[in-house]
Amino acid sequence: MSLRSYSRARAVHVMLVYTGGCNGCDIEIVNSIFSPKYDAEQYKLFLTWNPREADVLVVTGPVTKYNEKPLKEIYNAIPEPKAVIAAGACALMGGVYKNINGDIPSEEIMGPVDKVIPVDAKVPGCAVRPEDILSGAVAALPKLLEAK
Amino acid sequence: MEASTIIYSLAAVVGTIIVAFIVSIWLPGIERKFIQARIQQRIGPPISSPGLMAPLKFFFKETINPNSALPQLYNALPLVAIITIFFIFLFLIPEMYFLGALTSIIAIVGLLKIEEVIYVFMGSFSRSIMSLSMPFPDLAKGAKYPNLTRSFLEDLSSLRAFRLIAFGSFPLYIALFVPVARVGSIFLMDIVSYQQLQGPILFSAAGVLGAIVYFMGYLILLNEYPFAILKTKADVIEGPYMEYAAKYRSYVYLSRGFLMFTLAALFSVLFLGIPPNILSWGILINIIVALLFPILGAFMSAFSPIFTFKQFYPVVAALSILGVLAIITTFL
Amino acid sequence: MNSNQKPSREESIEAEITMGPVHSAAIEPYRVRLFVEDEIVKDAEITVGINHRGVERIMEGLPVEKANSLTEKICGICSNIHLWNSVMVAEKGLQIEIPERANYIRIIMAELERIHSHLLYLAHGNEVLGHETFSMRLFYIRETVMELLRMIGGNRVQYGVSVIGGVRPRCELNEKRIKKIREGIDFIEQKVSDFANRFVADPMILSRIDGICSISKKDALRLAVTGPSLRATGVDLDLRRDMECYQPFDFEVITQEGGDIKANLLMRVLEIPESIKIIRQALNNIPEGPITDRTWKMQDTDIIKSYVEAPRGRLYHSYRLEDGRVRGSIVRTPSMSNIGAMQYAVIGHHITDAQLGIVQCDPCFTCTDRAIQIIEI
Repeated sequence: MSLRSYSRARAVHVMLVYTGGCNGCDIEIVNSIFSPKYDAEQYKLFLTWNPREADVLVVTGPVTKYNEKPLKEIYNAIPEPKAVIAAGACALMGGVYKNINGDIPSEEIMGPVDKVIPVDAKVPGCAVRPEDILSGAVAALPKLLEAK
Repeated sequence: MEASTIIYSLAAVVGTIIVAFIVSIWLPGIERKFIQARIQQRIGPPISSPGLMAPLKFFFKETINPNSALPQLYNALPLVAIITIFFIFLFLIPEMYFLGALTSIIAIVGLLKIEEVIYVFMGSFSRSIMSLSMPFPDLAKGAKYPNLTRSFLEDLSSLRAFRLIAFGSFPLYIALFVPVARVGSIFLMDIVSYQQLQGPILFSAAGVLGAIVYFMGYLILLNEYPFAILKTKADVIEGPYMEYAAKYRSYVYLSRGFLMFTLAALFSVLFLGIPPNILSWGILINIIVALLFPILGAFMSAFSPIFTFKQFYPVVAALSILGVLAIITTFL
Repeated sequence: MNSNQKPSREESIEAEITMGPVHSAAIEPYRVRLFVEDEIVKDAEITVGINHRGVERIMEGLPVEKANSLTEKICGICSNIHLWNSVMVAEKGLQIEIPERANYIRIIMAELERIHSHLLYLAHGNEVLGHETFSMRLFYIRETVMELLRMIGGNRVQYGVSVIGGVRPRCELNEKRIKKIREGIDFIEQKVSDFANRFVADPMILSRIDGICSISKKDALRLAVTGPSLRATGVDLDLRRDMECYQPFDFEVITQEGGDIKANLLMRVLEIPESIKIIRQALNNIPEGPITDRTWKMQDTDIIKSYVEAPRGRLYHSYRLEDGRVRGSIVRTPSMSNIGAMQYAVIGHHITDAQLGIVQCDPCFTCTDRAIQIIEI
């Protein structure tokens, strides 16, 4: 393993962008980083709120209309190499908001996430479990490590 | 001077700086893993991650053009910070004491001031995506005050950095003058030789008071957690550092670790009389002080909330009074 | 101090600071514009609607069972209470008498959820306060509640306990589960009281939260504040006291004075033992019997309304049934009425305190952004 990949594996900065949804996934992800029970920092995952610092973008929620442009801008602000994890049923396929409706479908959902930005790892669940987020980050890692 | 002496002192200077760098990259990790994570009852990151691997990783990232009014100057600022710290450290090494006025407290105060002013520039040049330029229809029909000056989050932290220059660094500078008042000379050479004869200043009433004030001033200058209003997550996210990416961010990381070590070395010169020098056993004391300071700081930051100016002013005023008291005590 | 807190004129406002929709202090997406003079907030504007998914609109015409489980997706923090209230609307309309045991299980779930929501509030509040250690400790305590909720409902966030006529068969409380709940709440009670003792004895924290972002009783009533945020100003108003299903239980309604951040935080801390008290009573007196009544018949109804006390305040659901389908659904969530208080509370305080002032009203903008009409600008 080269020094480049080694250093990338030892410090991964994760940024969370929340684009709608119900808060559930979001709190579970924050929980996986803040709660001493899961403590993502022991797996070298650090939470950041600055796209310039981030390597991995975790996106939750079905991308509502007003979140589409901010999400793209934040994605563009992250320097290469970067990976995107779509977490939760809403981020994967629009969730209940896009797929279930009575007489009138919802017009506000612009997602799922891979319509807006390229996605590298998908974490299913409604809501995602903290353990799954950690394994999702591991799944996105090869892309980071192998990039030039 | 003979050639061998020059080579000898050159080796001492280069060796000391290399040791300082090696120690300083471990400091953030030690702080995070052994103190904060232990207090928070979790395992915490590996000690190499925050200080060594993170800068290394950023070094291998794509260099981007920051959103800034003056991108090149903005990117150059962390290098200026590193060079400034480098010079402070250089003037602490005994082999450099022949430089005279540059190895005095006044020169060090001046260089530390540059370090603080850099934050003001960083803040005013940074134009991050995270506040004003986020694509969002703010000025829609019915919005409040549509004609106001709209400022970025970083402008706020620039303003705060300006205030910190005005009053925040007071305790540190007062504490620097405690040994000066005791020895009666502003030259580091005199301060060191006085303490080698009379014993460290730390082991006197004035020294203890001065050391406390110095430590708090150290936390304020480093923007450690109770005093991190410049880059608090509660409003300005990362403040002046917002737009640094790739290798420039790794310079920011490195400059912080190096500043930690340098300030600890400055303490051991002024209060213990032991300058950093690779060729004497005294460097071990330097390293111990450099480890002890972040550890105590981590205790402080793990058990305190962020201070706003409402808490900041009284704390700084009290510390300044304590510092002045320490200086007065030296004359008794 | 509060009487001076009127929004000032535009002349004294120097600049505007804009934050969001992605920001470190706010996990949820909302935009806040703070109008400041020398870092002191003179006026604020919070924009919601970023999170708008139109839940009520997609509920229109759905079968009532489906629509009920959709209400659970309104909010990931208080999902159970949304479902409960929505199910209660149908039960009121169809005149279903639910078994006593099901009622007890629902109340146990609701109170466990209140504990989890309040602990999350405290953890988030401490994070914005800059106190990472307390925040992590509270997340650690909260993990116990999450495990209990997972044990009963099968999922950590959306548990889906209530169905029309009772509770899901999976959520039956047997002896083993009751024992685990008892152990869990004992642990939480002890840990929360430890935390509270530490918290109120810390002078550094007190100087940050005492008297900051306060709302007077009068203003709170004028701004239609609800829930714990209202009780923190001294108004003794809790819907649980009037709800029929809470009648068998004995608990106190906590009030605090001042309506500042300290009162708000203590409010939540002190409500947790009361919730634990209710859970204990429910576990002691839980009646035997079936947990679901399946004898009900679907029929058309008029518009039916139902109010419950959610962790954040008064929650309102209403719809009418037509052919077993939901029509004209309206949901009014507590955070909706608290937005005015958030904008008002921050006036006259430092920007760093302002974020805390917004957090003190326990914002849940996912709850709020469902059916507000967004007009293209």
